[in-house]
Amino acid sequence: MCNVGDDNFDDLENSKYMPAKEKISPFSKCNKCREATPIVVLRSKDKYCKECFLSGTVHKFKALLGKHKLIRPNDRVLVVHRCGHAGTALLHFIRTGLDLGTHKKLRFEPVVLFVEDHSHLSLKERQELLKRVEHEINYFKFTMHLTSLSHLIRKGVNSEVLKNCAEILDLDDDSKSIIDNFVTKQTNTTNKTDFLNIARHKFMVDIAKELNCKFIFTPEISSDVASQLLTDVSLGRGSHIALNTGFCDFRDDTVKILRPLRLFDMKELGFYNHLNSLNPVTYRIVIDNPYKSIQHLMRKFVNDLQVNYPATVTTILKTGDKLALGSNKIRTCDLCNAPFEEESADLNSAESTQFSHWVSTQAHNSSLTSQERYIQTIEAFNNLTCDTYCFRCRQLMK
Amino acid sequence: MSNIHITVEFGGGAELLFDNKKAHPVTLPAKEKHWIIKDLLTWIKDNLLKERPELFLQDESVRPGILVLINDTDWELMDTVNYVIQENDRILFISTLHGG
Repeated sequence: MCNVGDDNFDDLENSKYMPAKEKISPFSKCNKCREATPIVVLRSKDKYCKECFLSGTVHKFKALLGKHKLIRPNDRVLVVHRCGHAGTALLHFIRTGLDLGTHKKLRFEPVVLFVEDHSHLSLKERQELLKRVEHEINYFKFTMHLTSLSHLIRKGVNSEVLKNCAEILDLDDDSKSIIDNFVTKQTNTTNKTDFLNIARHKFMVDIAKELNCKFIFTPEISSDVASQLLTDVSLGRGSHIALNTGFCDFRDDTVKILRPLRLFDMKELGFYNHLNSLNPVTYRIVIDNPYKSIQHLMRKFVNDLQVNYPATVTTILKTGDKLALGSNKIRTCDLCNAPFEEESADLNSAESTQFSHWVSTQAHNSSLTSQERYIQTIEAFNNLTCDTYCFRCRQLMK
Repeated sequence: MSNIHITVEFGGGAELLFDNKKAHPVTLPAKEKHWIIKDLLTWIKDNLLKERPELFLQDESVRPGILVLINDTDWELMDTVNYVIQENDRILFISTLHGG
């Protein structure tokens, strides 16, 4: 219990507080090999020379994949590509891993997917961007499939909507209104974003199935995962954290989504790309109001705190790693496809409120006995709630 | 103190704020005190930055998410904004904010 006089700020030995950013020690040799001059500092404390940094980064990538032992040789993997440093680094990791001559080479068959989703740019800028992305994927010599979010919304997932070169991908010039109409039932930006993310997730899984891929790689990095975790807790998806932020999202029976970059931060990948002379495809960004949605807010919170407290993201990740799915997994949500706990026979408080509300709106049928009325009411209510949505998705579908 | 000749470079999308030019040869005018990076940032804001300074600068440093390399070395190893600029230095700013 909190008591007056409990603030023992003198006792900093057992400090429960996150460490603030420290000044870098002047010892100027690489942390790892202790010989060469360091060229980069990571997490405000670890210094590395060029060779140790590159070998360490590549090793970290392979170790995460290898640790989970999920991918078998010749498995097809759908690699979701996005513009920016993370996407480019991921392609480079995979290409160099596949090309290795040693027994440590990666052994799976990657197929790259790019879903054009930049309706805030002009049609000309989007077409130009698509060409640059195509050029980048070709540089890494990967099989590619290109499509556009508005196409997926209009036509669904089928072989016709996936193109293998930019020229034949005819972008909709009214993409923005197509996407806006798609989420029009959602009343605020948070819900629109949430709903759209679920749709993107579904499209991704359907495309993987269409292309016979057992796995999907997404380029989310540590800060993305940390913001996602806090967003999920805020929105009522806390029970799905293991799926939405863990290394593996295994909610689908045939396709597993993996996050091989979830332990990397942007500085690492930025430096990695620079040292490998890679220039990611980039585009003019819009400065968003960081308070316009919960997703934006959480991202701002994590990124701002991380500046002065470099342990922020790793602390959130490590805590998230300890949160597993519940053990009673009977029903799956019709919208987000996540499993949720079996409901007990007793109504929980949300359902009780729902029941009371519903009963008070029903007309009184005096031709039945009170016993018959009671049974009829219960049956009618149970038939009402035959949709299966998890807590959060039920709010989205209301 | 005489003029200092350096190269200022931009990557990762940062060049979009600087006329889309990646490399800018720069001559810093002679002044009494040494030129440090903090002074250079002010100079860049006044002379090179074409639009949206909030995407490049924050407080008296670069915005978080902009990597700074001095002669191919992380500026965090060289006292960041207090580093004293030398003749022929190459200062590279890489944005990690663009794209994604």
